[in-house]
Amino acid sequence: MQSESKVDPKIIEAILKFGKNVIEAPKLVSAPDEISLEVTPHDIVQQMDKTRLLHYKPFTEKQHKTPLLISYALINRFHILDIQPEKSWVRNLLEQGFDIYMLDWGTPTSMDKYLDFDDYVNGYLDTYVEYIKNESSTEKISLQGYCTGATIATTYASLHPESVKNYIATAPVIDGWRDTTVISNLAKHMDVDKMVETIGNMPPEFMYYAFSVLKPFEQGIEKYVNFFKNIENKKFVDSFLRVEKWLGDTPPIPGELFKQWIKDIYQDNLLIQNKMYIEGQLVDLKKIDMPIFTQVAVGDHLVSPECSMPLHYAVGSEDKTLRMYPTGHVGMIASSLSQKKVLPELGQWLAERS
Amino acid sequence: MQSESSKDITDYYKHLSLFWTDIIHLMSSKPQALASIGPMRAFAANSKKISTELIEINEDLMEFNKHLTEYYKQLADTWTDAQKKVNLKAPEIPHDIEQIEAVKRIWIDIFDNDFTELFDSGKFGDNYGKLVSKELELTKHWNNITNVILQSVNLPSKEEIDEVYKEMHSLKKRVGKLELELKKREMKKNAE
Repeated sequence: MQSESKVDPKIIEAILKFGKNVIEAPKLVSAPDEISLEVTPHDIVQQMDKTRLLHYKPFTEKQHKTPLLISYALINRFHILDIQPEKSWVRNLLEQGFDIYMLDWGTPTSMDKYLDFDDYVNGYLDTYVEYIKNESSTEKISLQGYCTGATIATTYASLHPESVKNYIATAPVIDGWRDTTVISNLAKHMDVDKMVETIGNMPPEFMYYAFSVLKPFEQGIEKYVNFFKNIENKKFVDSFLRVEKWLGDTPPIPGELFKQWIKDIYQDNLLIQNKMYIEGQLVDLKKIDMPIFTQVAVGDHLVSPECSMPLHYAVGSEDKTLRMYPTGHVGMIASSLSQKKVLPELGQWLAERS
Repeated sequence: MQSESSKDITDYYKHLSLFWTDIIHLMSSKPQALASIGPMRAFAANSKKISTELIEINEDLMEFNKHLTEYYKQLADTWTDAQKKVNLKAPEIPHDIEQIEAVKRIWIDIFDNDFTELFDSGKFGDNYGKLVSKELELTKHWNNITNVILQSVNLPSKEEIDEVYKEMHSLKKRVGKLELELKKREMKKNAE
């Protein structure tokens, strides 16, 4: 007689429960397409080509005098900064009495392949800054850049210091040679000339590939298992689907802009060496002389702290602050930590200077 | 030595294919022109380009396959090594929920660590860069073949459309600068 193998009944129970959750999921939750990611009320106050300028409606009666313009990254969309009310970067700053504008870079098409750094920095960004200055009757505004949006904002702050009162660099992509992430490894080996010549814009598929190599098993398997396990937890599911929808929607990047970004930042590392040129103008980081607040996430696996921190030491500003947070790239802007720690610190710093 | 001789053979066959493509094209161009009508006239005149592209595609396909094989080999080797590490750390068959969770955690951590190490490595970056580069070469050949077909129906090629995009971009920039200049002059005038 062979001894009977015993299976813990809890295992059977868990498998059955998981199966039930998978079957019932469509009844319990919305499809990602049915979810709107535009949370906080705003107006589209300006449009230029495919880009838009959003102006959020105020939450407080009195507001700080200097408006804040957020230059979001070129990868994915600005919605992560306003992903849901309790984790919204925008809402938190509005509640602290700031006047917030957001730059939506839009969705470039094949005909935008020749857009370059000059168009983004001296074209779109500068036009919107001028608009905001005019609207709010101020000579300078506060500028925040996030991720690759901070690369653009940094070059802007260097070329147009007269328009920037305060600069906030959140996980900025600055020193490509020091970046230790998988993304930088792929970027360093990329034949970007051939890519732009052959397919024009950097297609979203390449970005999805880059995402897929970041913790592939945790992100590719475990998080979906957790999603179905927690299907009855409305708060968890809502947050999960919003972030997933955001992750699955990245626009192409204009070819010429992408080419210069890969070459000047990751391959030749010109920006941090003060050797990068935009339409014949040298981007000298020493010309960034306004108060600067640099935010870095210790666990950032998209832009490593070593890539962001050099900005703090390279600028010409005397009033400069560097803050490091025990979180990741997205955790720094859309999490309970960002609400409890990152944003209150930023708000205090900015209020003192606005 | 081995690779040099295989390169010689490849070059020989490439030359042979191109020679016969050219000769057949020359020999058949007049009868083709005489026989073809409508869009086929342009297609017949440019059909040699398609043959040439196809010959070059074969060459690039060999290189592409080499890098693709290396890509999957790197993934498979990393998988095998990671699985060995998991086996050493979690040799027992799990019997309850807690043990399953523990084994799953070990599996995910080891696999994520090993694969991240691979994706961070120079050998992966180098091979992946070359793989994408060859993929782009293949795309370029496909573009060129499509251009022949587009031209046969009098539609603009990719290069011609690109030229229009470039011109539009340059015009927009010039108009933007002129507008800025006008604005400055207007402001100066108002100040006076």
